[in-house]
This record gives sequence, C-alpha cells and structure tokens, in this order.
Amino acid sequence: MQLRPEFQIQTIIKAMMEDVIPALDQTNQLAMQSAQLTIGTLMLISQHLPLQYRYDCDELQRLLALAETLRGQARRGDKTGAALSALQLAGQTGQDVLQRARAEPGEILAAIRELRAAAAEMVRAVYAEGAEASQTAVGKAVLGMSQEQLLRDRSWLLMQGWEPDPKSIPAIDTLLAPIQGA
Amino acid sequence: MQTVNKDRPSPEWIAATRKRFEVEREVDRALTDKMERRAGPPYTKLPLEKLVQGVTALIGSQLKEPFEISDAKWLAGGASKLQVAFTLNWNRPGAGRETTRMVLRNDLAEALHATSRLREYQIVSALQGVMPVPPVFWVDATGKYLPYPGIVYGFVGGVTKPSNAKSGVTGLGTYMPEDVRNKLAPQFVEHLARLHTFDFRKADLSAFDVPKPGKQNAEWAVNWWDRVWAEDAEEEVPLVALASSWLHKHAPAVEHLSVVHGDFRTGNYLFNEADCKIGTWLDWELARIGDRHQDLAWSTSRAFGTFAEDGKTFLVSGLMPENQFIEAYEKASGLKVDRKSLHYYQVFNAYSMVAMTLGTSYRVARNGKSHQDILLAWLLGVGYMLLDEIRDLIAKEI
Repeated sequence: MQLRPEFQIQTIIKAMMEDVIPALDQTNQLAMQSAQLTIGTLMLISQHLPLQYRYDCDELQRLLALAETLRGQARRGDKTGAALSALQLAGQTGQDVLQRARAEPGEILAAIRELRAAAAEMVRAVYAEGAEASQTAVGKAVLGMSQEQLLRDRSWLLMQGWEPDPKSIPAIDTLLAPIQGA
Repeated sequence: MQTVNKDRPSPEWIAATRKRFEVEREVDRALTDKMERRAGPPYTKLPLEKLVQGVTALIGSQLKEPFEISDAKWLAGGASKLQVAFTLNWNRPGAGRETTRMVLRNDLAEALHATSRLREYQIVSALQGVMPVPPVFWVDATGKYLPYPGIVYGFVGGVTKPSNAKSGVTGLGTYMPEDVRNKLAPQFVEHLARLHTFDFRKADLSAFDVPKPGKQNAEWAVNWWDRVWAEDAEEEVPLVALASSWLHKHAPAVEHLSVVHGDFRTGNYLFNEADCKIGTWLDWELARIGDRHQDLAWSTSRAFGTFAEDGKTFLVSGLMPENQFIEAYEKASGLKVDRKSLHYYQVFNAYSMVAMTLGTSYRVARNGKSHQDILLAWLLGVGYMLLDEIRDLIAKEI
C-alpha cells in the first residue's frame, strides 16, 4: 500500500502551511492558534508513527521485568494473592505477545517491497523469455493474488469514494487475516 | 526495487533509462528534463507578480507594439498546472487595439504529467476551426521567460458540470442529470469523431513523431508509461509488470492514424450551462498521433463514468451507455470500432493511469514538487481501483 500515513501527513502539513493558514483571518486568534496546533500535532504524529510500535514493545518489555520483580517480592495475604494471580496472568499474556512481536513494521514493509520487486522481475523475465504455457501460468498466478490483494486495497480506501459500487466491497476488518498465533 | 535513488538520479541512470524505452523525441525531452531537474528544490509558492513578470517578458518577445497586462488573478485548476487569468490590452494583428482576457497555464517543478507545452501549443493551434478548442497565443516551451514552461490561451467561459452536480476531485465521476447529458452526449461523440478524422499531415505538428505502420504506435505508447513507472514508482507491483508485459505482447497494429486527445472525458470540456453547448475542449497535454481506440477506451474507463439513475447502467463519461456511444461514434466518424483494440487500449489506459497515480503522484508529492501535493496524495488512491480494472480486463484474455 503506497498511500501511507507518514506520506499523507507530510502533504497535509504543507497544505495547511501554504494554503490554509495564509488564507485565515490573521486577527482571529482562536483560528490561528488551532491551525498552528493542528500542524504541531501532525508533526508530532509524524515523528511518533514510525516509532510507535517499537515504543510500545519497549514499554512492554520493561513492564514484564517489573512484574517479575514484583512477583518475587509478593508475601502472603488475600489482597496480595489476588493481585499476584492477576499479575501472573498479565505477565504470561505480555510475554506471549512480546514473543510474537519479533519483526518491526518497517521490516515487514521492507520484506513486502522486496517480494513485490522480485515477483515483478520474475513476471517480466518469463514474458521476455518463457514458453507460452509458463507465461499463462505466471499470468494466472499474478491475477489470482492481485484479485485478493486489490479487494483489500480498495476496501482500505473505500472512504475516498472511487468505487462505482461501494456496496460490493466488504469492510476491511472482515478481510484481514488475524495475526498467526494470536 | 529501489536500488537507485530516484530522488537524485545520476546522469548514467537517466541515460540508461532513456535508452531502455524508445519514445517520441519530444516525449523523451520532457521526461529527461523532469529527471534532470528532480534533485532540485521543491516547489515554493510563486508570487503572482513573478508569473506576471514572466508572461510580460514572453509577450514582449512576440509583440512589437506596446501592450499592458492587468487584472491578474489565480484560477483554480487541475493537479498539474498553475493557472493565472489576466487581461491584455494590445494591438491584435488583424483586429486592432483590444482587450483580451487570457489564461496562463504554467508548469510546476514536477507534475502529474511531464509533458511538452510545445506539443500542446501545436495541437491546439492545428485544431482551430476543427472542433471547439481555446484560442492559443504564445508558448514558452523551455521556461525561458517564465519560472517553468508555460502557454497562453484565450479565456473561455463555461462550466465542467452543472452547478448542482456531484463529482469527485478534478471532475472524476461527475454525475450529469438526464436532461443535461442528453444534450451533451451527441456533441461529445461529434467532437471525438471530428478529432479522429482530422487530417493531421497538413498541420504543423513538428513536435509529434508519426509512427510507422504496424505496431510502433502501441510500442511507443507503452514505452512512455513503462518509462514513467521506472522513473517514478517507489514500490513495485507484480500486476503492473504483468500489464506491461501483456501490452507489449499483444500490441495491435493501427490501420488508421488519428490525433488522439489522451484525456477525452467529462471534466475536460467547458459548456454553457444555459444551453449545454460545449464551448471548448481543454487539457491537450497528452495528445499524440496514434490509435483512435486509445481515446475511445479512455472515455469508457470506469474511473470517468457514473451509473444512471437505475443504479445498473454504466454511463460512459457520465453521458451515455457504452453500446450507444460506440454506435454513435461509428456513424459520426465513418470509422469502425474494433472490440479487440478497444479492449487493448482499456488495459493500456488503466496502465498509464496507474503509472500516473501510484508512480508519479507519489513521487511528486513526496518531494514537495507541486502546489497541490495533498491533492496528488489523494488521487493516488484511485490507482488501486484502476489496478483492479487491469486485472479484470487481462483475466478475460488469459
């Protein structure tokens, strides 16, 4: 998916700074302040977005260490017993999630792009040199994969209003496969 | 995919890309110019005065008599040009002193299309009296006088859609009420027929190359967008590779060469809202000499049509059902519509639009090269619907 938040935010900030703010009534303090805060917030989001996932994993790791320490300090008592059970359960869940959170979003995107490029190169090579049967098979494989992927791409962008028949596109949350192991 | 830095392409990479894709000479010049300027600064807001200075210098280079420019103001335009309206008081050859309302269309640091203003000037000049086109006065093909290349047209009034009509950005998917489309549809067909039967060989179209009989026309066309994709796309799409390969493999021979508009659709003509008469056709920058099926397929694209009130009948360019459109065109032009060529150019057109949206829109906006990066980023989203159109069209043949 080429239309990604980091890229979109960059264009919003530019439009705000170059077109919207200069057109505002410069004496309207509330409007000016809100516009500046909008830009500031978008810049902050832009800075956080690539790091958000790592930030959360980092915190989870720290909390797991804290939970481990707390468990070691627990002494008997009704309230403490209940709290210890809850902490153990939360710790197990957290540990499991962290175990599965191996790759960062940037790595996943890089892997996607590498596979896209390699697949495209293979298509071009088969069409340049391959036998007719190979070309047909490659064509069918690409069309089949694209049908599934494009359904998701179009659903992802449904709100933009490009689809002549939007009702025919399922909602994105019904199309995305759950993360394996979740 | 991105083993080269496309934001700062080396001269060697530019040269290799030029060699890889054979295109018309002027198309090559415009694309090369784009790549050579790519590493330059992003677009910065140009003061109106700077464009007025530029257009004054351009007109001054062409006129010997004194003239005066006044009432300059920005016009809203598409995603690919800056537009300024102004009034020129001048001694018009053959008409004497008069004031003429004019429009400057000026390029940006980079735009949705890297095209040639010289070609635009030549084709619109050639079509005066053939079909409704705006009067065209002067061109600055290389940016000698203006900050970027530009062209000066006479101002033509009109609307692209009824005041109360709904449409997406840049006129895509405009819904026309039935009474309006009934008046526009016959003109739409008639103008297309006139364009495709125009004898271009007698016109001064030196910036256009005429393809040899056979498949060269289709090869040039596909190479153009192959090259744009190679120069602009950030991430590869296997279906794009398949589409390109399929287009090269199935390139049809053209039996009758025509001037092709390249963007013939609702949104690119102006009409008088009172009587629905089309006054002018705009946006000639993608024009070429090629196969009429390219225009026919463009007009019938899903991206430019809407559904009729019944929610089932797809209307070509929001105006009429496809069969009716084809039948009326054949009658008006005397030229046959070959369904196989139409299908081929439907794939081709969707391919070119994917290159523009997923490739160029992204590259231009990310490098901050236009005055409407946010619009380009928005337009990028239509690329996925177009990819699905390609998938659907090719699936019928594989």
